[in-house]
Amino acid sequence: MTEPRMTHEQARDLAAGYVLGALERSEEDAVRDHLATCTEPHPEFAAFGEVVPALVELGDLELVEPPAALGARIMAAAAADLAAHPRVTPAATPPAPPALSAPAAPTAPTAFPTPAERAQREERRRARTTRLDWVLRIAAVVAIVAVGAWGLNLQQQLDAAQRFDRAVASVIQVAGQAGSKTVILSAGKDSTASGIAAVRPDGSVVLAMRDLPATSGSQVYETWVIVGSEAPVAVGGFPVDSNGIGSFTTRAATTPPGAVIAVTLEPHEGNTAPTLPIVAAGVAIAPPPSS
Amino acid sequence: MNESQSGLRGRTASPADDADRAVLALVTAGQLDALQDLYDRYKTMAYSIALRITSDASLAEDVVQDAFLGVWRNAGRYVEGRGSVKTWVLSIVHHRAVDAVRRRRPTTELPEREDVPPPALQVPDIWQDVAAGLDRAEIAAAMETLSTVQREAIELAYWGGLTQQEISDRTGTPLGTVKSRVRLGLLALRRALVGDEAGFTDPFAGDGA
Repeated sequence: MTEPRMTHEQARDLAAGYVLGALERSEEDAVRDHLATCTEPHPEFAAFGEVVPALVELGDLELVEPPAALGARIMAAAAADLAAHPRVTPAATPPAPPALSAPAAPTAPTAFPTPAERAQREERRRARTTRLDWVLRIAAVVAIVAVGAWGLNLQQQLDAAQRFDRAVASVIQVAGQAGSKTVILSAGKDSTASGIAAVRPDGSVVLAMRDLPATSGSQVYETWVIVGSEAPVAVGGFPVDSNGIGSFTTRAATTPPGAVIAVTLEPHEGNTAPTLPIVAAGVAIAPPPSS
Repeated sequence: MNESQSGLRGRTASPADDADRAVLALVTAGQLDALQDLYDRYKTMAYSIALRITSDASLAEDVVQDAFLGVWRNAGRYVEGRGSVKTWVLSIVHHRAVDAVRRRRPTTELPEREDVPPPALQVPDIWQDVAAGLDRAEIAAAMETLSTVQREAIELAYWGGLTQQEISDRTGTPLGTVKSRVRLGLLALRRALVGDEAGFTDPFAGDGA
């Protein structure tokens, strides 16, 4: 900054405008710089500033509830921020995002789980699924995009990251709505694919996946919903090109909490039984009711 | 009036203040559920302020999101003893909302900054005193003590997001007069709400309005 510094009198003259936020932002910065270094008292800033909170009370402000999805968006963004910039405060240990460094969780299903395993898994997950956990699950994948985009130099990779980013955004959009469920898709055996999905109230699944090998010919990635001990139900397939990104919304289905969402590679659309192994899978989890 | 003075300067923190500070400390440490807690406490007030200033539901959502992310990243910059957490959070919301409406207006220059710091202003807070000690009628009476032009200037600034220069242009009033109206209006409010006998005197008293 080469401009002459603000004088004591100039700052005093701007105090009322400053506390109301009625200065140009450049003026405001200059006032702030002055206050940070001025050795003389500036009682007018506190005197005027004390009144400002009351303006809200005085202004007959109509109280309007924000949409419910806003809270979910904010928490997802904060969790992504935390994952990208971990806190180093020694006083408290922030909970580590579960999937930051390893999108493929060690508990990744490698085959269709038995009903008993599923029940056990569901119980474990229910027990530890707090609202925080839920938000972290959503955000961790977003964070991977943010971190993963760093250092990219190939346009194709950048396009892929942007496509995945958009796909994740539509998943989060659904995840923030009432009655939705979320799914973290972890890689199966011999797979590095992973992703995130949200289940709409009608049971259709919105998927965002990355690192899927490209399909060829009539091949598709088929999505399956598995409820309890029932047979897997095919809910829709999608092709993937060389960018490895899968962005897809399935047909409506019965997808209760605890249902397993699985993705397999099939030779063509319309198979009624899945071809093993599973490329990626996860369990649909309903967020705990907020507040 | 020593009582009001001590109530203002040395007021002990209310239980709500203490709870807020505890929550903010957890936010500083990176606890997401603490942020959720803080959001739940002030989301309605925050959204209502943003909506009033922007008159645009979608923009108001962006403002609130931006503000709470600012709180999330800068919670460590909150200074205890210089105002309540509530005032701090809502001042960030106000600041971002004003930025948003100014950005929408082509006449105002706004630097495109990625990470605008929250306002450094933190002041001893009378919010709870005002809210607890006065009913609506008294608050309305305080507002009545302002002249029409003073009230207009303050509302255009606080709720309209206008700079003093813009208020001057819009109302055809010299800039110096606008500044005086804003200043004298705030002083009148202060007198009506907390009294001022032993407190602050206007450094510009006598320069006309």
